[in-house]
Amino acid sequence: MASIGPDNMADIVELRRRLEEAEATLRAIRDGEVDALVVKGGDSDRVFSLGDGDASYRAFMEAMDLGAAALDADRSLLYANAALCDVFGLSAATLLSRGLLDALDPGSAAQIGSLIDKASSCRQSAQLTVLCGDDRRHLIVSVSPLPLAFSQGYAITFTDITERVLAQAAEQSERVGRAIMASANEPVIVCDANGVVTHATGAIAELSAGPAVGRRFSEAFPLHFQIDSGIIDAEDMVTVALGGQSMRGIEARLDRGDSGTRALFVSAAPLRLDGGSISGCVMTMVDMTERKAIEERHHFLMGELNHRVKNTLTMVSAISSRTLASSISLSDFKERFPRRIEALAATHDLLVKAEWGNLSLQELIVAETAPYLPARSDRVTYPELDIRLPSRVAIPLGLVIHELVTNAVKHGALSNAQGVIAIGAQRHPEFLEISWIESGGPTVSQPERSGFGQTLIARSLGNGPNAGAVVEFRPDGVICRMRIASGDLR
Amino acid sequence: MSSEDMNDDSGGEPLKLTLYVAGQTPKSVNAIRNLERISAEHMGNRYKIEVVDLKANPQLAREHNIVAIPTLVRSLPVPIQKIIGDLSDTEKVLVHLQLTPPQ
Repeated sequence: MASIGPDNMADIVELRRRLEEAEATLRAIRDGEVDALVVKGGDSDRVFSLGDGDASYRAFMEAMDLGAAALDADRSLLYANAALCDVFGLSAATLLSRGLLDALDPGSAAQIGSLIDKASSCRQSAQLTVLCGDDRRHLIVSVSPLPLAFSQGYAITFTDITERVLAQAAEQSERVGRAIMASANEPVIVCDANGVVTHATGAIAELSAGPAVGRRFSEAFPLHFQIDSGIIDAEDMVTVALGGQSMRGIEARLDRGDSGTRALFVSAAPLRLDGGSISGCVMTMVDMTERKAIEERHHFLMGELNHRVKNTLTMVSAISSRTLASSISLSDFKERFPRRIEALAATHDLLVKAEWGNLSLQELIVAETAPYLPARSDRVTYPELDIRLPSRVAIPLGLVIHELVTNAVKHGALSNAQGVIAIGAQRHPEFLEISWIESGGPTVSQPERSGFGQTLIARSLGNGPNAGAVVEFRPDGVICRMRIASGDLR
Repeated sequence: MSSEDMNDDSGGEPLKLTLYVAGQTPKSVNAIRNLERISAEHMGNRYKIEVVDLKANPQLAREHNIVAIPTLVRSLPVPIQKIIGDLSDTEKVLVHLQLTPPQ
């Protein structure tokens, strides 16, 4: 049996020490207490890091603001950094268990899947709108090929540009809003929560005395409302709108001092930015002044027309019965009656053209003589005086002139080729006198009986020293002097 | 890279320590910081420390047959002692270096 000498004992101790050292080294490597190893080569030793590069890479990835993920060849999620978890609102554990594509809405997953399909050889990038929880995030997604130990995976980065996109949208919206305000033809006013005008279209210049922006709406536009509108004044309207209630087409009146009064339709609505709380109100005003004037005139004309139709029918009835009474035969009636109605119609035509305003004496003479004389005939002369006749005078005077001209055509100055008629007019303080003087016609004799024509002439223009008509049948021509009271000419 | 730190203004047997690191790996950086702390708190004023960067000079690993990094070698007093790891376990370090842990 061999004994163990001192040298052998020393060898055993050394071997035991080396064994313990080897075990300690293995244990340290297994427990992750070292991160580099020295590997002996032929002539030189080399140092290899254990996981150092990966740790640094991961530390770098975690420090990035970009969301980053690594997928293997089967598109299983290998790694997702904290920024990506924040974007999706999911924990890293949840993201890893569900997988990246399954954590996305189907549409976004399909789009990213399409990018991955194309990213085997080169980097792919696209801007996507991804549903993250309840929010829609705008992301630039880039997919690049990622070499792995035994296969190829994909590196995906997500750049959240939601705030930039929203800011651009807000800026665009602001530009559109400004363009609308600049282009609007109608007055549009925007007020803040205190009722102070912050924006106004250029069209308000016609309604506001001076700039409106910066002033209270009620001061810039002191509106007056009808009692039954339920609105007291402009301040009340702003208060109601700021309270969340919309109003449309409320009639209002705006006094502009020397510039007159404008009739407006005013609408008001609360202004909600981004669909949230009320931050002000929007007022629109439509100027109805001209339309209201037209409506009032239309209303007046309808009443006037009704009145005149009744008068005309009464007059036609009287003309009919009196013409019938004075006619010697039915054929005589058939000749006289239509002409008198035509004379009445001619005056009416003039009045309609003048919208039932005043006619000139000249217009009336031309209209009544037109059926019997060529245009611009010099056989009838009349004054150049600008004499205006209201409708209540023009209608009977037109009938009188008709009777005179028909008599002249039958028996007087217009019954031959030489006769002429001089019509004159002279203003007196109390009346206007119009003279009808015939000359050059056949010798005139007093009619044997007074017909309807003479009656109409004598009665149509009234009675008294300042009104009425007198006919003289002088041998050298008929003379008629007509007086119209000055009060009837106003 | 190597560095030395020697303080010998007190009595007793001096400590000679060599810390082998590999550049700026996290474990190497931690080992340097932990050794600085332990030396300040437990080694008094009589020790000599050398830090060897094997990444820059891998051949220096042969002197103490270094395999894993970081490794701290106590060459004095004999026998040689090796501590593998980043020296974060202070008690383990003090036991291996045969220094008395604080009470």
